[in-house]
Amino acid sequence: MTNELRNPAQKLWQDQPVEGITMSAKIIRKRAAKFERKILWRNVREYVAAVIAAVPLGYFLVTARDVFARVTFGLLIAGLTWMVVQLHRKGSVKSMPMEVSSLTSLQFYRTELERQREAVNTVWSWYLAPLIPGLLVYTVWSAIRSPRPAAWLGLALMDVVIAGMFYLIWKMNVRAGRCLQRMIDELKAESPL
Amino acid sequence: MTVDSTPDELYHDAARVYGAALGRLARAYEADAELCRDLLQEIHIALWRSFSTFDGRCSLRTWIYRVAHNVAASHVLRQRRARSQALVGLEELENMPDGNNILQAADRSQALDRLVSMIQRLKPLDRHVILSYLEGHDAAAISEITGLSLGNVAVKIHRIKNLLARQFQQGETR
Repeated sequence: MTNELRNPAQKLWQDQPVEGITMSAKIIRKRAAKFERKILWRNVREYVAAVIAAVPLGYFLVTARDVFARVTFGLLIAGLTWMVVQLHRKGSVKSMPMEVSSLTSLQFYRTELERQREAVNTVWSWYLAPLIPGLLVYTVWSAIRSPRPAAWLGLALMDVVIAGMFYLIWKMNVRAGRCLQRMIDELKAESPL
Repeated sequence: MTVDSTPDELYHDAARVYGAALGRLARAYEADAELCRDLLQEIHIALWRSFSTFDGRCSLRTWIYRVAHNVAASHVLRQRRARSQALVGLEELENMPDGNNILQAADRSQALDRLVSMIQRLKPLDRHVILSYLEGHDAAAISEITGLSLGNVAVKIHRIKNLLARQFQQGETR
């Protein structure tokens, strides 16, 4: 488009002072490696946070005297590990997906939204359910270990609080799923794939 | 620039020819100056990497803008959870009352800031269309990059023109 044909908005936009970057092949290779290290460290931080959360459970697993307790803490650690791995795989937007060059913007945006919708719609199976076996065994084990009404009441309260938290997490994800679905529907209306 | 060029050569030429446009694009997708620099760098890295698979089935310009907009859309999705401001479509923006409109801006820099903040309120796909329009791309090129039908792009451009005309009309008559 020649300068004469540009409207005021296009002139304002195209003539703005802009901080561009030009990098030699050597520099961009370095930056790409640095960028990858940054992503790697971000992932490592997520896993370290999960390990820190699992340390007390691991301690209880090692020091527990009866089989029930070991099974409980073993199941909780396994559930937590599964949850973190799935959270990493499904929960976040990929840092630099391979499809950036092969898909049109419409396809790419829709694919990313569908991936996120899938993650929130299946939150029960990968985020909440993995912790349930450990929590159930813990409840049964504690009830058998302390067969007193006061202890059972305490356990019941704890389970109600946990169930409430699970319900809230599920509801929040259902809401996020609906929001994502609306965005996907809007894109479908724009132009069906 | 040809398909036979090496990825490094393709990247070097792309950065030379489209560097400024990519800088403008990054600014339109990210308000924070530091995050904007990060996004621009991410776009350049994605471009450089992508050239190893460039097969010439589409024009280099289409390829470059596709990569840049897709990386930027990914960035918007990553930031979406951290930011509360809801993104709107062109139709909604067109129907909104003019608040800090561009024609009331005291100078060119303020006018540009207002134009950028208007663009940043748009959903990624509409943002893509308005940016392509501002860069002077025609409807066919926008359709090829975005994947939207030509008719849909034409409707969106019509809305963009109305929106911008409303914002700039008085400014022109001053």
